Amino acid sequence: MKGVRRAFAELVESFRIAFGALVGARLRTFLTTLGIVIGVSTVIAIVAIIQGLDRSFEEQIQFLGAHTLYVDRAPWIQSDDTWWMYRNRKKITVEELRAVQRESQLAVSVAPMSGVRGKVARGNVELESVVIRGTSEEYLNANGGSVQAGRFLVAGDVELARAAVVLGTDVVDRLFPDEPVAAAVGKKVLVAGRPFQVVGVLERQGQMLGMPLDNVAVMPYPSFGRIFGNQRNMVLSVAAPPGKVAELESELTPILRKARHVLPGKPDDFAFNRQEQFLKLYKQLTGALYGMAIGVGLITLIVGGIGIMNIMLVSVHERTREIGVRRALGARRSTILMQFLIESAAVAALGGALGTAVGLGVAQLVALLSPLAAAATPSAIVFGIAFSTATGLIFGIWPAWRAANLDPVEALRYE
Amino acid sequence: MTEAPLISVENLTRHYRVGEEEVRALDGVSFDVMRGEWVAVVGQSGSGKSTLMNLIGALDTATGGSYRINGKDVEHLSDDQLADLRNNEIGFVFQTFQLLSRSTALANVELPLVYRGLPRKERKEKAVQALESVGLANRMHHKPNELSGGQRQRVAIARALVGNPSLLLADEPTGNLDSATGEEIIRLFGELHKRGHTIMLVTHEPRLAARCPRAIRLSDGKVVADGPGAEVASLGAPPVQSPQAGAAA
Repeated sequence: MKGVRRAFAELVESFRIAFGALVGARLRTFLTTLGIVIGVSTVIAIVAIIQGLDRSFEEQIQFLGAHTLYVDRAPWIQSDDTWWMYRNRKKITVEELRAVQRESQLAVSVAPMSGVRGKVARGNVELESVVIRGTSEEYLNANGGSVQAGRFLVAGDVELARAAVVLGTDVVDRLFPDEPVAAAVGKKVLVAGRPFQVVGVLERQGQMLGMPLDNVAVMPYPSFGRIFGNQRNMVLSVAAPPGKVAELESELTPILRKARHVLPGKPDDFAFNRQEQFLKLYKQLTGALYGMAIGVGLITLIVGGIGIMNIMLVSVHERTREIGVRRALGARRSTILMQFLIESAAVAALGGALGTAVGLGVAQLVALLSPLAAAATPSAIVFGIAFSTATGLIFGIWPAWRAANLDPVEALRYE
Repeated sequence: MTEAPLISVENLTRHYRVGEEEVRALDGVSFDVMRGEWVAVVGQSGSGKSTLMNLIGALDTATGGSYRINGKDVEHLSDDQLADLRNNEIGFVFQTFQLLSRSTALANVELPLVYRGLPRKERKEKAVQALESVGLANRMHHKPNELSGGQRQRVAIARALVGNPSLLLADEPTGNLDSATGEEIIRLFGELHKRGHTIMLVTHEPRLAARCPRAIRLSDGKVVADGPGAEVASLGAPPVQSPQAGAAA
């Protein structure tokens, strides 16, 4: 009990001394921490920016269902020199759609998606370059999203190739300015010059990889085919039950090969695309960035740590007599060791805190001045301070050890 | 006498190696100090009195011989045990005061109790008491550079007293003071002696040793005189006298 109390009293005393020393030599403290401040702020800023990117990427990737396979004639992620391999592949058409609908047991939903950019107009307002999409009533099941007013396409729209359209919020906002969103439902608009009735308005979705998702007009694919031709390429979005994406892929492969008349022994002339692939690619990219940030951080922490070690050695030297006095009054070696360790850890922690603040500020500034989002998670802050404190402890060991092992007699006599 | 001595030094030696040469700073010193004694240790510089003080103060360990204080054998103690012994048994008073300049008088006086692990409140109470006993109650929140030399030495004495050690060990306590202030400090030691404290005072000034009831003279690392302070101080380098406890002041 007494030992615990003694250790506690010494700990409090150590903090008091460390604080006194830091406040007593403000300029020196500041200069000492500068290395740590720069290192930590750099890392925090980089990490905050990467985490901001992560978050917005993950939000955007939500547009692609996690359990959905996107069947296209080419993989969406390609290396630069392979695009020509896919260029001449047959388009995916209604035939493949029908084959999958007919033969797949696992598929929860199947929706075709084709798209062009075209005009959407109402009265004298004409919008260029709206994404016009042909799909089926199962579109939302496979891709997520919902309608905020009216309804989505229904089976009847598709079967009868009705002139029904569901608009994205960007389109509604511009075609029906100053009107509530619901006011659009039931109105007539011209899509690529043909009259369509607005049956619903989609919930706002934001962006995916820089493409606005709300600048869209969705119609039944047969209607789409009538306007833009039936031989346009489709992407089939096929949703699997959770966790069965791989099984779905095995099931779909023979169905698609048969539908596309791929001869045995020939490679597939279509590709399965998944959200996961984007995540993987993205993780590769940011992984390199993280590695760089960690490298920069380590180097600056080492530089900062050497700075702290240097200043602590000076401090021990200057306070030789004080150490002698403390030893004479009953401080053990371990007490002196702890005192100086706490001091160097405190300097470093201060630098870490300051660096974290600066780094967050820089990240906010970057977020403000550029399209990059910056988000600092609490863990980044904790890591910033923890790592700098650890640096202070590690680089404080040698100076503290020297202080603790001073001969009391010599130390007291030191001028 | 049936009472055991507080300090018992027997054939104590301390040798240093300086290059090839061995320096015998202490060369077989023996004496006892009883509780309540006030003993001066005198000698020229180089006589070994600083070495003796470092050994008595448990700041250093002897090359040979034995040293007991308050029933504890010092020669076999570990470094931590020496630190604890200093904390519990010894109150140091230095020539240069050795106060911590960034701390107040009160914090300086509390320091030995911090290393003893006393709760804050008890520490403060005892430190205030100690400062009162040296007449500095009204200066406890001043830092050393706001105090006069005499006041600083009083703070140092309060710090030496606060842990109620068995021995007050003073090294040239008046060396950095003018004669009037030095006189004050010596009177304070006299008072502490009357209150029952055991005091060892190391000095090179025979004048000061003469004021102590007992003095031990060292020369070349050996005890050359041990007796009443006035006698030992007045003798140049007398033959060794039989050790005897000092008479009352």
